[in-house]
Amino acid sequence: MEDDDYWNTSETKAKAFSFDDDVLSTQEILAIGQRSTGQNEEGIFSNLSVNTVKSAAVPLNSLVSSKVLDLILLAQSGKDPSKETKQEPEQTVAMSLKRLTLGRSCSLHVHRSMKSKTELLDGALAIGDGNAVLTVVLFLIQTLNKKLVYELLSSRPVALNHYIAFLHNEGKITELTDLLTMLGRSPEAAMYQYQHAVKTQGNNVDALFRKLSNLLANHFNQPGVDQHQAKMIADYIKLLEWQKHVNKPELSYKSVIQWLAYNCTHHWHEGAGNAMSPLTLCQRHQITPLQYDWVVLNVHAKSGKWDIVESLFTKKDWFGRTTVSSNIPIETLLSRLSDLQASKQLLATCVNKVANSDDRLRLAHMYKIHAVVIETLAKQKDRAALTNYKMTLNPQSEEYILAENTLRDNSIKWKN
Amino acid sequence: MDQPLSMKLASMSLISQCKLKEILLLCGDKKDLIIDPTLIKPLERICGVNWLRQHGIDKIYKMDPQLGSTANTTRVYFIPACILKYKCVLDQIASLLSQNPALADLKCFHIIIVPKVLTTYDSVLESKGLYGIVKLHTFAWELMAMDEQLLSLELPFLFKQLFVEQNHSLLSSISMSLWSLFHVTGKPKAIFSVGKLSASVLDMLEVYNETFARDFLDSHSSKEIGALIVIDRNQDYASSLLTPATYSGLLSELFNINCGHLDLNVKETKVKKGKLNFGAEEESGSSKNTVMTLDSSIDTLYGEIKHRHFSEVLSVLSSKAKLLKNEDIKALGIQEIKHFVATKLQQVSLFKQNLVNHVLACETIISEMSNKFENLKLAETEMLNNRNKKSNFTFVDENFGTDIHIYNSLRLMCLLSLTQSLTYDEYNSLVSKYLLAFGYKYLYVFNNLINAGLLVQPSSPKLSLNISNLGNLSDRLPKWQNEFQSIANKLKQLPSQPDKVGKTSPSYVFHGGYVPLVAVVCNAILTSDTFADAISKLAAISDLRVGGTILNQFKDGMETLNEKLSNLKLQSDLEFGCKDVKSFAKVLKSEPNKGGCFPLKPKTVLVYVVGGVNYAEVAACDVIQTNTGSKIIVASDCISSGADLMAAST
Repeated sequence: MEDDDYWNTSETKAKAFSFDDDVLSTQEILAIGQRSTGQNEEGIFSNLSVNTVKSAAVPLNSLVSSKVLDLILLAQSGKDPSKETKQEPEQTVAMSLKRLTLGRSCSLHVHRSMKSKTELLDGALAIGDGNAVLTVVLFLIQTLNKKLVYELLSSRPVALNHYIAFLHNEGKITELTDLLTMLGRSPEAAMYQYQHAVKTQGNNVDALFRKLSNLLANHFNQPGVDQHQAKMIADYIKLLEWQKHVNKPELSYKSVIQWLAYNCTHHWHEGAGNAMSPLTLCQRHQITPLQYDWVVLNVHAKSGKWDIVESLFTKKDWFGRTTVSSNIPIETLLSRLSDLQASKQLLATCVNKVANSDDRLRLAHMYKIHAVVIETLAKQKDRAALTNYKMTLNPQSEEYILAENTLRDNSIKWKN
Repeated sequence: MDQPLSMKLASMSLISQCKLKEILLLCGDKKDLIIDPTLIKPLERICGVNWLRQHGIDKIYKMDPQLGSTANTTRVYFIPACILKYKCVLDQIASLLSQNPALADLKCFHIIIVPKVLTTYDSVLESKGLYGIVKLHTFAWELMAMDEQLLSLELPFLFKQLFVEQNHSLLSSISMSLWSLFHVTGKPKAIFSVGKLSASVLDMLEVYNETFARDFLDSHSSKEIGALIVIDRNQDYASSLLTPATYSGLLSELFNINCGHLDLNVKETKVKKGKLNFGAEEESGSSKNTVMTLDSSIDTLYGEIKHRHFSEVLSVLSSKAKLLKNEDIKALGIQEIKHFVATKLQQVSLFKQNLVNHVLACETIISEMSNKFENLKLAETEMLNNRNKKSNFTFVDENFGTDIHIYNSLRLMCLLSLTQSLTYDEYNSLVSKYLLAFGYKYLYVFNNLINAGLLVQPSSPKLSLNISNLGNLSDRLPKWQNEFQSIANKLKQLPSQPDKVGKTSPSYVFHGGYVPLVAVVCNAILTSDTFADAISKLAAISDLRVGGTILNQFKDGMETLNEKLSNLKLQSDLEFGCKDVKSFAKVLKSEPNKGGCFPLKPKTVLVYVVGGVNYAEVAACDVIQTNTGSKIIVASDCISSGADLMAAST
């Protein structure tokens, strides 16, 4: 493959990036749309449009006959076939349901008895058309008292789900809460209110704080509500309170971990107890040691403060050797350090922590930590493997010389 | 009518075009089109700008709540069936009317809604006082041919509605798309449904069939499609949650794909974007990326590599590059160069561009996935087989504590929950970490996942105090199979030695660990000699139904919808378009091949996934197709990845 590098040259690459200049971004589309000359709306459609060419493959009239095409168009429109004009017989439940399913206009108000209303609902459910189900449910809400409707819905979960989805999408949260509470499902009601609150009050810390405090006090303390959920909401309120107190706009709506990253960057040296100290945040929000280590590693490595990283994640052992100590499992740590372009030395320290020599060898290979590969192979007294490995290295490179010297080392009793 | 099936499928857009034309005819002579951005790419597959202009569209605008005045009085809005977008359009119209009340009498407002105008939309119109002023139009576009044997309705919001909200209002659109399709291909003799929604799809399909029966000209069975299989997405979530091993599968993990067009954004992949960024934020802005069209008929190279296990792709690309290099050198004499330029240059340069793009994509996949791939693959396989629960949980928990991803981490949690189940404490440990990372506001996401059946909420230890002793006991007993494994084993979805499966096992799409359900069902239908045989192979599926003309011989007299509805027992299934297979057990014992459909002829199957199909499943079907010498056409309401399912819950 190495001799094919011409298709990897910067020239071909650059060409690849520009090959599609005709596809416009949405901003450009918008600009074209509002341009008064308006000659160039082709821009809204990319020139890649292929299907127009392809679709000529089979002419329409050999796909379907014109009669069938009329039928397809009729079905889409939801209109009555022109033949059936004005012969309105008495409307049966079945006929209404069929019209609903076909998307034809249909008044349900002829169905006044409880029996026919129930039949309408069960029929719609049996057909399975959600549009018909919801239409019937809303008709029932209009024409029956609520208690009767709720009774019908409580034994028909699919219909109930449609009504819940409707109220939820319409933002009718009070009605939704009443409904679910009446059905003995107040924990769900609480969650719908929560979802609505965070989605609608999203850009006002004060309003959200009040709303959530209220929710926690009145809805998440009821029997049947999951304790962990309630705790999460209490934690959210705690965070919002803190946010109000600290009043840093750049931290609004950030997660705890994002906040921790901010504190690590800007308040690293503040000790526990200080408002913005990373440690204070960890205590308040029960950030696990693993999460803490991860954030600290990423924040400091990305801003190039490797001294902090090393002082935190390495220590000297009894023999004065540097070893790695972190809550991040060693393989994960290694992979991340490599992504962050840590020094070979830190990588070597890290991989040396792996006790099993086969694992160590595999990882050292994977991250190309040559010194460790060579050392491990020497310890395993595997001359053949080391000789092979030497071949893969750049002649005259530091690691090549190390491998050569190791192979010449007389103190090693090679097994092969 | 004897054009090849693939050509006919690719030409379905002509019917969509007619449907749109019919609507535009009702919208006046000269008008502006205001289009929701998500609909631009799909519309491109139906018509071009020139076509729109021929049909009275003067200017085109992108829908924006702040859109000011436009060139023409008559406005045609074009939006998906999403209540928020609909209301946004109505608000815009209302504000125009308040500025200029005279517009109310001009009948100048039209809203085209894909795929269907719902009854509630009419009520909203009425409640806002806009009834009679604004006209609503249903546009039910046809299935679009995205690639060879891959059809999509391109309605990416359907999964969220159908499974997360459990709102089936648009389910009939799937029936409608099949109904139209069968006018072109004829009706398949044997029809199967797996899952509740699929059964409803078939029931509604039968309503359409019955309503328009007398006009249905070609009542003969299809000569081109032997069987239709409709499957609910929630019947096989594992296939969505697992990390795919195929090239196209991995492309969809990393890059945004919109209507078959891949945005080759190598800097900001979906994997990167979903993670927390601790560094200095580099605003890359809206850099323009290369767009790749994932269609084998345009990019033959893609056709060659799309279904390959990723480990093979680079070597294929490299060999293509070598070929290309040799060809370059050959062009020598002037005449030859002339000939080359005239005939092959464009082709070759297109091929080169495609090659470069695929190499870039591969590089990105390698650099983003390679380090973690092995461990991820191992954990997934162990979960599938219910082994090493503890270390699997540790793996997931560690992922949540470190390199957490807004969607992919949830995917792992869901997979673990469905295959090995989570305890109350394990569940909450993951929830807490997720919320710390992305914000407490996402607490509701877990409830949505539970509603969609992607996650199982363990009951609180307090609620199950009485059986806690039993719980401890069962921990000490040898592990029984979970429901997931017991069904998957019966359907032979879990190869015993994943490392040794060859290319003939569809499980290669998940490193040999799992066979997608679509492939299992297709295989059973294609390899059975009798009806009874097919049903026994699929006996472990709880909600399998049968429809189509195969039923004619089982029915005790035909029943119309009216009769069905009037004889309906309380809260029973309609069984109009399909019947539970269990009801035939007796008959099939004495006459195993009643209905006479097996072995299947023609050996062509259309498999339709309700709620989104993924590329790994398409690749698995391709293996079945090769193994059985058949043809499998995969269709769905959209092509989605596991991350898309998670995104639908947020």
